[in-house]
Amino acid sequence: MGRRPILGAIALATAVTLSAAACGSSGDDTSSSGKKTITIGFQGVLSGDNQQLGLNALYGVKTAIAEVNADASYPFELKLVESDDAGSPDQGPTAAQKLIDNKKVVAVVGPMFSGATKASEPAYSQAGLLSVSPSATNPALTTLGFTSFYRVIAPDTVQGKAAADYLADVLKAKKVYSLDDKSEYGTGLSGALEPELKAKGIEVIHDGINPTKDYQSEATKIIAAKPDVLYYSGYYAELALLTKALKDKGFTGKIASGDGSNDPQYVAQAGATAAEGVYLTCPCGDANSDPKAAAFVESFKKVNNGAKPGTYSGEAYDATKALATVFKQLGDDVNRESVLKAFPGVNYAGITKTVSFESNGEVKGSNVYVYQVKNGAITVLGNIADLIKA
Amino acid sequence: MTGPNVPGQPAPRSSTSTREGREGPGGPRRVRPSWHPAGLRSPARLRQLGVLVLLGLLAAVVTGPTGNSDHPLRAAWDSIADPRIVLFLVIAVVLWLIVALGGQLRTLAVRWTTPVREPVGAAYGRRGGPIALNLALLAVAIIAPMLFSTAAQQWMVDGVGIYALLALGLNVVVGYAGLLDLGYIAFFAIGAYTTAYFTSQTAMPWHAPFTLNPFFVFPIALLLAALAGVVLGAPTLRLRGDYLAIVTLGFGEIIHLLANNADGVTNGARGAFGVPHLSIHLLGIDYTWGIDPLPYYYLLLAIIVIVMIAFGRLERSRIGRSWAAIREDEIAAEATGVATLRLKLLAFAIGASVSGFAGVLFASKQFFNPQSFSLQASFFIVAVVIFGGMGSRLGVVVGAVVLQGLTFYLRDLVAPADRYIYFGAVIVTMMIFRPQGLVPSRRRRREIELSEAGVGAADALGAAPTGARP
Amino acid sequence: MGFFDQFWQLTIDGLMVGSLYAVIALGYTLVYGVLQLINFAHSEVFMLGSFGGLFAARALLPDGGVPGGFQSVYLVAVGLAVGALCGALAAFTLERVAYRPLRRRSAPRLAYLISAIGASLFAVNLAGKEFGRQNVDLPDLFHNDTVFTLFGADVSTQSLVIFAVAIAMLVGLDRLVAGTRLGQGIRAVAQDADTAVLMGVNVERIIIVTFVVGGLLAGAGGFLYAMTFNASYSMGFVPGVKAFTAAVLGGIGNVRGAMLGGLLLGLVESYGGYLFQASYKDVIAFLVLVAILMIRPSGLLGERLGRAA
Repeated sequence: MGRRPILGAIALATAVTLSAAACGSSGDDTSSSGKKTITIGFQGVLSGDNQQLGLNALYGVKTAIAEVNADASYPFELKLVESDDAGSPDQGPTAAQKLIDNKKVVAVVGPMFSGATKASEPAYSQAGLLSVSPSATNPALTTLGFTSFYRVIAPDTVQGKAAADYLADVLKAKKVYSLDDKSEYGTGLSGALEPELKAKGIEVIHDGINPTKDYQSEATKIIAAKPDVLYYSGYYAELALLTKALKDKGFTGKIASGDGSNDPQYVAQAGATAAEGVYLTCPCGDANSDPKAAAFVESFKKVNNGAKPGTYSGEAYDATKALATVFKQLGDDVNRESVLKAFPGVNYAGITKTVSFESNGEVKGSNVYVYQVKNGAITVLGNIADLIKA
Repeated sequence: MTGPNVPGQPAPRSSTSTREGREGPGGPRRVRPSWHPAGLRSPARLRQLGVLVLLGLLAAVVTGPTGNSDHPLRAAWDSIADPRIVLFLVIAVVLWLIVALGGQLRTLAVRWTTPVREPVGAAYGRRGGPIALNLALLAVAIIAPMLFSTAAQQWMVDGVGIYALLALGLNVVVGYAGLLDLGYIAFFAIGAYTTAYFTSQTAMPWHAPFTLNPFFVFPIALLLAALAGVVLGAPTLRLRGDYLAIVTLGFGEIIHLLANNADGVTNGARGAFGVPHLSIHLLGIDYTWGIDPLPYYYLLLAIIVIVMIAFGRLERSRIGRSWAAIREDEIAAEATGVATLRLKLLAFAIGASVSGFAGVLFASKQFFNPQSFSLQASFFIVAVVIFGGMGSRLGVVVGAVVLQGLTFYLRDLVAPADRYIYFGAVIVTMMIFRPQGLVPSRRRRREIELSEAGVGAADALGAAPTGARP
Repeated sequence: MGFFDQFWQLTIDGLMVGSLYAVIALGYTLVYGVLQLINFAHSEVFMLGSFGGLFAARALLPDGGVPGGFQSVYLVAVGLAVGALCGALAAFTLERVAYRPLRRRSAPRLAYLISAIGASLFAVNLAGKEFGRQNVDLPDLFHNDTVFTLFGADVSTQSLVIFAVAIAMLVGLDRLVAGTRLGQGIRAVAQDADTAVLMGVNVERIIIVTFVVGGLLAGAGGFLYAMTFNASYSMGFVPGVKAFTAAVLGGIGNVRGAMLGGLLLGLVESYGGYLFQASYKDVIAFLVLVAILMIRPSGLLGERLGRAA
């Protein structure tokens, strides 16, 4: 009895290390249809508390891939390799390395969260593997010297500025309660919004609250402050609970939030009555008037067992489609180097925006739209730049 | 495993029969040969079959389709009402037969492994034997990563190495001194933020007026973390077991929240980017640890080996013996002149300093933000220590290798969203069959056996809960 | 917007959340009292109970409009009952699978902790797989109006329902432990298991009953929680830690202490979140905990189930 444990432990350790060493995927380069196969990677939040956001994006990527593979005009088929970073910097480098190690992967959609991005990007830059983030909005990301980082979403500063304009010029707010969820995304957005508001002479009350389910006392605090507008920088799941708490307590001011809340689930979770009239800003395209967007929703549901697109689904879809466009232009010469070189020149008309890039990897000319919940549906009011002029 | 076992003498048959006897209270006490057909139909055996069939159904649900809240039970039903279920049921029945007829198999297994076990055991028992065995393990640790993919090497650093070091530190607190610390990750955070403070002008808004090479931060972080340990410990160590646990948990949360909230000091949720990598510029040697994981791995390995040797000496020293006295019977220890409070503080400080040390390594390797210092991470380190075998240095390192290896292995095996279902199942199964951990410390095991037998009161962590003796 | 203008409103808010903490804390305290064991998977019992109650109430909810009168009472009662049953079932299974085999092997106490963490990971992620990872909302079961005003603070129907159920559960549990034969058994095991065995108490049975009662309370509390906020697979962790803190605050192993601790924690969070940035409210809550433990090292009301309750 006394000696067995050591042996067992050694055996176990060996088994684990050997199986870890044996990891590696095998697959063939040509598909059944005879077209050649191009492999792309996806790095995102596929486990942990935020995995719904990861699934939104992953399903968007899968929708794009299904469309490309069904479309005869693309001379190749796309294959996907997923890698989970749980949205945390701890697991980022390993998740990125997993995709880098797979020599077939020529480009990556991801990483999703800014923290995981900062931890992973040094490895991507070193390996010369292109990564296109659908959702990392931290403004600093394009200034940290990463050579293979691009994103199809505007940084917080763009949305913060536009949202401030809208609150000031259209909603005529005098006093704004800016609440963030203390996450990287939330503090980034509120940090961009507040200076803009203050510059316009609007009184800003700042508060932060970690994601929770209990917004009772926070609602009391907000109501006591009597703001004209509450702007919440965070995700829809928390905004839904906050909205409910506020409406239960009879809050009469306006409620607004950013792209993290622009998700049909928001209305479903808050209830149509409570969510009615809430404003949502988003640096993403006008999904209603665009027939392509309607087609996207249909094909998304078909590919993903009836799941509906949510926050970041459209961006991930656009990133994948933009990659496919570049692969098509490159013809036979698709490898990491050529993709990294050709991608900055892409010009692809996507459903959230036209994907084309500044030299630093920032997506060009982002318009910020404002949406409002009307009769239980998120409907577009228009481009903020136009609304201010009107 | 009930009752004190004579070390080195396996008694597989008797343990099966006692369990059988207990599970069928009304049944005959006479032990039947387990292969006897009537044995298969006994209530205990039939119950085993039931349990295994249930497990089979559960396995079908776990591996089945994903559901949604609109139809809460549909996914479970779809996985059970599927032809696949036959496979799971067949596996369940086969497993049951193996378990039921296991007596013979186990004797066979014992017979087959004896020729291997004997020499290794003998080598371990011989003078100098453990050293040879440890050297062999070290050789494996040196060579193995070279055979791995870069991603696996990366994980050997981020996942396995760092957590092994953390677990070694926590082992001093939990394993040696018998104190439960649920906020251990806080000291790791202190180490990481100290590094950012001293080595970079840009990583955090709050920084030192000068910059240091991360190597010089090691001693600073070590001292600061130890100091934090003393500051936390001095007022709280008078508390008994579980109260200490909740206070340390609170401390861990406070540090985590402060790091996340203090935007102007720590850069809040945006984290500290730009801490320089470790580098040596000494006597003509210029070396910088870069992005590649392997150099970090060997540095970590060296540190872990040094820490293991140092703690081994510590365990056998006067201090180590005093810790053993405290965890076995604190009142008696105090009565015989052991300065219990001061020694507990020492354990806290030593544990904390290792954690702070690991924090420097982590911060200089890669970007971090407060997410890295969550409550779950603290729980996970405790899990590594217990899983490996508390009080055993080799054990906690093996625990880190196995648990973190498992998360890496599952990465490719199952859907990422489902990964922690399997992970949780493995932990529970492991605790059911091997509650003392993978490589238990002998002294710890003896203490538990003694307390079971009613000799002496083992500490708050080791003693079996009340009502354990059925 | 002075603090004192909002004092009573914040008190009501805090008491409402605090009574939810208290109900969960009762489960921790009971199990701790009997086994001296922190049941870390209790938060998942709570989560499964809340899903059970929510799905049951939603299945019976008629289409269109918010139900009223007797129908509301009926729906809440069904939700509470099904939630409690699911919680009890989960707690029973947990005891069978993750704890009993360890007791049989006289495992060290920390092994239970790890087993609980494993069980918790398993349950959380399996629930995520089966029920989806989105928050699940329960439509209103009654009109949530202001019933009366207390010193200028609105008291809603919702908070009254929560207070009523929580108090009923506390009184019921208190009576059960103090006044019945079963309670006598629980107290006997809590005081001295060995002697209890000699006195003819069936310790195994008492342990199961303890888990089941804790599960009933957590499940019912889970339904209240889902009714007030919503349910999701990862909902258990935070209230679990809070409730554990509440149990320690009041004196772990002490039924009335758990109730007091829960309410106090709710109040501290509510006031703290108002006076400081809301994200510091957990910091304040933990600081209060540490301060109280410094003054009263075994919690506000002292610890053992057998003696104080």
